[in-house]
Amino acid sequence: MKPIVCATRGGEACRRNQERAIDLAKERDAELIFLYIVDPSLVGPVKESLAEVLNDEMARMGRSLLRIAQGRARERDVVAQVAVRYGPVQQSIKDYLREVGASTLVIGTPRAGTPPRIFTPTEIQRFAQEVYEEMGVEVVVVA
Amino acid sequence: MEEFLAIEALIILLVLVATLVAIAVRRVRLAYTVALVLVGLVIAIRRPLDIEVTPELILLLFVPPLIFEAAFHLDLRLLRDTLPSILMLAVPGVLLTTLFVAGVVTLGTGLPFATAVVFGALIAATDPVAEVAIFRELGVPRRLAVAVEGESLFNDGTAIVVFRIALIAAVSGVFDPVDGFFDFFQVALGGMAVGLALGWLAAQLIGRIDDHLISATLTILLAYGAYLVAEQLHVSGVLAVVVAGLLTGNLGTAGASPTARSMIFNLWEYLAFIANSLVFLLIGLDIDLSQLWANLWPIAVAVVAVVASRAAVVYGLSWLSSLGSDQTHIPVRWRHVLFWGGLRGAISLALALSLPVTLPNHDMLESMAFGVILFTLVGQGTTLQWLLRRLGLIERPGHVVGRERYMGQLLAAQAGMHRLDDLRREGILLDKIWQSLHADYIETRSSLTEEMDHLFANHAELERELLIQARREALQAGRAALMDAFRQGLLSDEVFGELRTDIDRRLEAMALIEAAVQSRQLPRQGEGE
Repeated sequence: MKPIVCATRGGEACRRNQERAIDLAKERDAELIFLYIVDPSLVGPVKESLAEVLNDEMARMGRSLLRIAQGRARERDVVAQVAVRYGPVQQSIKDYLREVGASTLVIGTPRAGTPPRIFTPTEIQRFAQEVYEEMGVEVVVVA
Repeated sequence: MEEFLAIEALIILLVLVATLVAIAVRRVRLAYTVALVLVGLVIAIRRPLDIEVTPELILLLFVPPLIFEAAFHLDLRLLRDTLPSILMLAVPGVLLTTLFVAGVVTLGTGLPFATAVVFGALIAATDPVAEVAIFRELGVPRRLAVAVEGESLFNDGTAIVVFRIALIAAVSGVFDPVDGFFDFFQVALGGMAVGLALGWLAAQLIGRIDDHLISATLTILLAYGAYLVAEQLHVSGVLAVVVAGLLTGNLGTAGASPTARSMIFNLWEYLAFIANSLVFLLIGLDIDLSQLWANLWPIAVAVVAVVASRAAVVYGLSWLSSLGSDQTHIPVRWRHVLFWGGLRGAISLALALSLPVTLPNHDMLESMAFGVILFTLVGQGTTLQWLLRRLGLIERPGHVVGRERYMGQLLAAQAGMHRLDDLRREGILLDKIWQSLHADYIETRSSLTEEMDHLFANHAELERELLIQARREALQAGRAALMDAFRQGLLSDEVFGELRTDIDRRLEAMALIEAAVQSRQLPRQGEGE
């Protein structure tokens, strides 16, 4: 069974997103991977001497968030793997989906009325469409 | 020698009063700067101090550090969205304010229009100090505070240039609009060029010299040096300091080591505190109530003119700029704050004091300026908090307050449990009593943890914020441990410096991550309307 990848960043929608991914993994008895993308460009331009520690601290935060998600899955008897990748968010997600040959991508979108974090809801829909058309990967957008 | 001692004693007394006021305002709901003016006023009434507040004292000693600090800390990234609107308020806005106020004052008091224009210009500069202090205390959106500070910084420069041109015209009786227009641009652009050149030079030096003490000293030299050089060249000293501060604060410190950066930020925070304290105390001390009383009608006219002109300029120009682009307009709620928060302070005071005594109606103009400063600081300054509440700009979301409450209850429960354990260990508490109480605390703690988890389920971003906060505190604890080890001689200079720099960089990275996370949680301009 191809794995389900749940891309998470710790934003407002991430808990619902993770719960949905755990549900799917249970239903399909599939491998679950929580993915965090370290993208320093979201912080804005920084000087060279800071770039390395910024990457490191973002990755550290990502690993912590993924461990919390992994613990949640464990509580529901689902064994989940975690992965941290570096680069622009959308491209890195696509690269990772190819790398593991994922069947499904679970991604969150903020509730209506809350400000967007990384993508606006429209961008998420466009990205979901793109992933499906380019790679044939099912995309579950959790609102 | 005696004169020197008297000056030293006076400075100590002023700083002591300012410190006592700072301590006292922690217990009352009053902005620090407003409290300083009131205390200064009370001292002036009961036992006037022998202080001569000269324009040089304010403009040469206090204005450069105040402006430099504000510019240095102004995050241009946060100002980007509203910059066109803010510049519109700061440049055409000041010109319109000057003319509007002059018109009303001429009609209301019978002052010649040329003299009224001088008053209009000197009172056009807004002072964000009192307002921003209130913002910080109440947790107003950072972007709003930056917009207020940005407008004030730029309009200070514009107002001073317009004031000088208007004063020359009033004294000489000759004004050529074309010459005035070119003079305005020459002085303004010249000042900016001086700030750009010196700011760039200082930024280069700070980036190359890895010494926190020299870097901090360079910023002080820059703040005062840019002002003096520009004034010597007959261009705007204030605009030179604004540009130099913006350049070093936003670009210059990027090349400095984290230790130097931290030192520079702390130094300027402290210098601004001292300069602000003394300026606002001196405003209170220098107000002559009998002179104000004698000019009550002109002051009333001036207050009406200033408030009405602020309303016309803020609402009128904001409306105009909103016609241009949806992205850059100032949200309606912010316009109310910009209008009522247009307080006047140090710059207006310095300009009023610099009026030549030979200028006709000198006393009246000075009284009008002092009256307006007093009205805006005390009247508007004390009601701004109410306005912010009414506009819903300081209400925190329920889930954020909820997390805080659970955290507080959890901390209290933890402390209670520790105390019970101590009492039991000391043999004061019987085991069976300890067990019954302890079980109760365990239950409370687990129910609180459950409730927090439930809250995080609906607002997962709170969990991430907690994670960032915890990591930052852990890094700070690590830094403190390194300092202890260094003091005890366990670490050499070299190793200590290397490890401390790494932690400082990590703390800086965490601050950037936190700012990025928070800025993405803030509504963009225009949202929430």
